[in-house]
Amino acid sequence: MIAFRDVSARYPGAPGNALQGVTLVAERGAVTAVAGPNGSGKSTLVRALLRSVSLSSGLVTIEGVDVHTLSRRAVARRVAVVPQREEPAFPLLVRDYVAIGRYPHSGLWGAPTAADMRAIEAAVTRAGIEPLTGRRTDQLSGGEWQRVRIARALAQSPEDGSRPGAAAIVLDEPTTFLDVAHEMAVFELLAGLARAGAAVLLVTHQLNLVARFADHMVLLHRGSVAASGAPGDVMQASILERVYEWPLVVTRDPAVGAPTLVPLRSSAAAGTRP
Amino acid sequence: MIALACSRGDAVHGSLAGADDFGRPVPAHLAARRIVSLNPATTQLLFAMGYGRRVVGRTHWDLYPADAAAVADLGDGLNPNVEAIFSARPDLVLLYASETTRGAADRLVSAGIPTIALRTDHFADARRAAQVIARVLGDSSRWHEVTDSVDTTVARVREATAGLDRPRVFWIVWAAPLITVGRGSYFDELITTAGGRNIYGDLAAASPTVTIEDVLQRDPQVIFASPELARRIRSDSRWQLSAALRHKLVLEPDTTLVGQPSVRFGEAAVNLANLLHPGIMTVGTHRAVSAGRH
Amino acid sequence: MRSRTWLLAIAALIMVSALGIAVGPTPLSLHDVVLALMGRADAATVAIVRAIRLPRVALAALVGAALAVSGAVLQGSLRNPLAEPYLLGVSGGAAVGAVLAVSAGLGGSGVGLPLAAFAGAVGAVVLVLTIARAAGARGDPRVLLMAGVIVGAFANAVIMVALANAPVSAVRGATWWMMGSAADATWERVVWLALPVAVAGAALLTWGREIDVLALGEDAAASLGIDASRAARRVYFASAVLAAATVAAAGLIGFVGLVVPHIARAAGVRQQRPLIVAAALIGATLLVGADIVARTVARPAELPLGAITALIGVPFFLLQLRRLG
Repeated sequence: MIAFRDVSARYPGAPGNALQGVTLVAERGAVTAVAGPNGSGKSTLVRALLRSVSLSSGLVTIEGVDVHTLSRRAVARRVAVVPQREEPAFPLLVRDYVAIGRYPHSGLWGAPTAADMRAIEAAVTRAGIEPLTGRRTDQLSGGEWQRVRIARALAQSPEDGSRPGAAAIVLDEPTTFLDVAHEMAVFELLAGLARAGAAVLLVTHQLNLVARFADHMVLLHRGSVAASGAPGDVMQASILERVYEWPLVVTRDPAVGAPTLVPLRSSAAAGTRP
Repeated sequence: MIALACSRGDAVHGSLAGADDFGRPVPAHLAARRIVSLNPATTQLLFAMGYGRRVVGRTHWDLYPADAAAVADLGDGLNPNVEAIFSARPDLVLLYASETTRGAADRLVSAGIPTIALRTDHFADARRAAQVIARVLGDSSRWHEVTDSVDTTVARVREATAGLDRPRVFWIVWAAPLITVGRGSYFDELITTAGGRNIYGDLAAASPTVTIEDVLQRDPQVIFASPELARRIRSDSRWQLSAALRHKLVLEPDTTLVGQPSVRFGEAAVNLANLLHPGIMTVGTHRAVSAGRH
Repeated sequence: MRSRTWLLAIAALIMVSALGIAVGPTPLSLHDVVLALMGRADAATVAIVRAIRLPRVALAALVGAALAVSGAVLQGSLRNPLAEPYLLGVSGGAAVGAVLAVSAGLGGSGVGLPLAAFAGAVGAVVLVLTIARAAGARGDPRVLLMAGVIVGAFANAVIMVALANAPVSAVRGATWWMMGSAADATWERVVWLALPVAVAGAALLTWGREIDVLALGEDAAASLGIDASRAARRVYFASAVLAAATVAAAGLIGFVGLVVPHIARAAGVRQQRPLIVAAALIGATLLVGADIVARTVARPAELPLGAITALIGVPFFLLQLRRLG
């Protein structure tokens, strides 16, 4: 659905490529996770999709169509991106914020249509934020704000918005700053969307949650793909240690049965508590 | 303050207290040969009193008499260029007394140059200035001749306009903001002398700011303006509401005459009197022809 | 914002405008005002109302509206609640144009001064946008603010040099202009102001939803399909045209563009399109009121309009301080 084929990208003035020959596909009905250390190119991948950084080679396609042949609005109508940071300078009502998700679909004057209203309602329901619609964006907790942002993305994609199962969403680090409960809630929401048929591409560093919720995982290292496949295949101690440059072990958590990453103390700290 | 007391005119004769308007004592009998006069009023007086050859520096705007043009232009009188003054090697400096010239006066005095600062806002001040100059240069009698001739002219103007109606006059000095002349200004004195009535004579300030609507309400019959200002208000649709404009009574006094309360005060009064009461002063004056009547 | 509040805002504007026409050296009752507007009073009163007071109220209202809208869209697109219309170099450039014009003898209600001020303002904005673009960092508001500061500093230097060498009367005229005034309001000026305000205002209303998106942030804007830097630049330019037009008509008047959008937001207007309309209404009302104060407090003299509006800044900033602390 969302495919990167051999994508290389470089920031102006940077010595090397931020992304080097990256190929990955985020299919419909699956959660695809992109993980990797800081600076490995995860966010650059998202920017390449948004055309915020230019490609030096390769192709980014949405359902087979090269994004560069589409207008920005057309891309926005197909794929909704939830960026890492978003802080409205002026508070909005949640209802109006979610409605902004329909912007790429609106005409010149932008009067809301019946289709817009249906899409907004469906998004609000799917994201479970009905009790929040009357509140202001500056009155939300971190977890509530995340779900509201996801609702906006659901209102945005797909075209008619009434079938969340047809959505394509990309999320860049959606659970930073969230506590356990809210983090789990977000991941469960995303998994539910994928089950309903959406394509979910998730950039995150939360490997343990990726192991449990992702159907497909891509590990980036210094701009290139270090490993890709099912989480069970990618999360091997040897691979992860090389990429993260830190001693660790991978166990299988008895409670949930998913691979679990356990970082060890550094060798300098050997002899202290594990 | 000495300046205020002197500007009341008749107090002059007894109050030559030997101090200038900055409170410094006026030296008597200074044989000054190189005088810098940074005040058009005193420059005119010096030339009129026969000391023209001793003047070695003037302001940029001192253009009367014609001989003054040959004297070195030392720049602005209100913000004196002390260095330029030094370079003229004066042994006497005459300044217009104001807050902006106080610093220059201090510096000149500390450099040992006799400096006299006088506030010449009304003709009475010019009369006093003539007295001071005469006393300083050691010739106490000559000043009378100069001021007396002005007084004579003024008396004739007053006599000629004595029984006549005084037209209401508005003198526009600047357009934005709208500045006119009040009681504290010599222009007000000039209007009254010439047989008119300044519609803002009730305001004490010298250059009060007013509004166009206020002017229209006071309904001047005559408006005095410089040529550019006259052009500007004639083309402004709002001024069309003024009777003065409609009756084409926007008049332009001779700007070379009316600039300073000094030697030409009498001629200025004649010029204005003729503008207000056409033809009233036809004998014995040079510039009896009104300028730019529209 | 509820429709009742909108009606209140419109009513306030009408009332303060009527008051503005009633007030003056010859006070009129509201009844007289209505009669005079309809032409059914004595000739002198009708003339005063139609030729002097009405254009003045119209000018003040237009200037207030334009400044408020200019500030509102800048705050949204720059994502900065302290943004104001003169940020992009407008005031510095306009002042340079005006000072040079006054020194050359143009001033008052002629066309030379407004033209010079407008040209200076637009020139400065173009310079600011060019500098920001050349500095790279596409769309980063901080680069833009910095460029505005630089151009403003340069303009100040030019103004000081010009004033130092100008005759006293020119200095007085230039200073008066820089403090803002509606005293030179003629119908000609009102029309010349109304044109760019209408065009820029219409454009900004059309782009209203885009500005809402821009206000979310650069990444969010990109994800919603907007080329943020291009969209923002259009908004900056329209905002600058509004500000430059007001400066040409009435000199420098501060704080309106900064404070009025906050008042509108506090009244519950959050989305950019209704915010533009609300800001225009409130800004117009505010400035007509300020002009009334400017004309009456120190009769027969007038206080500069900018001095009155500056007083609004004080309680506003105090409030902001409390909110921070």
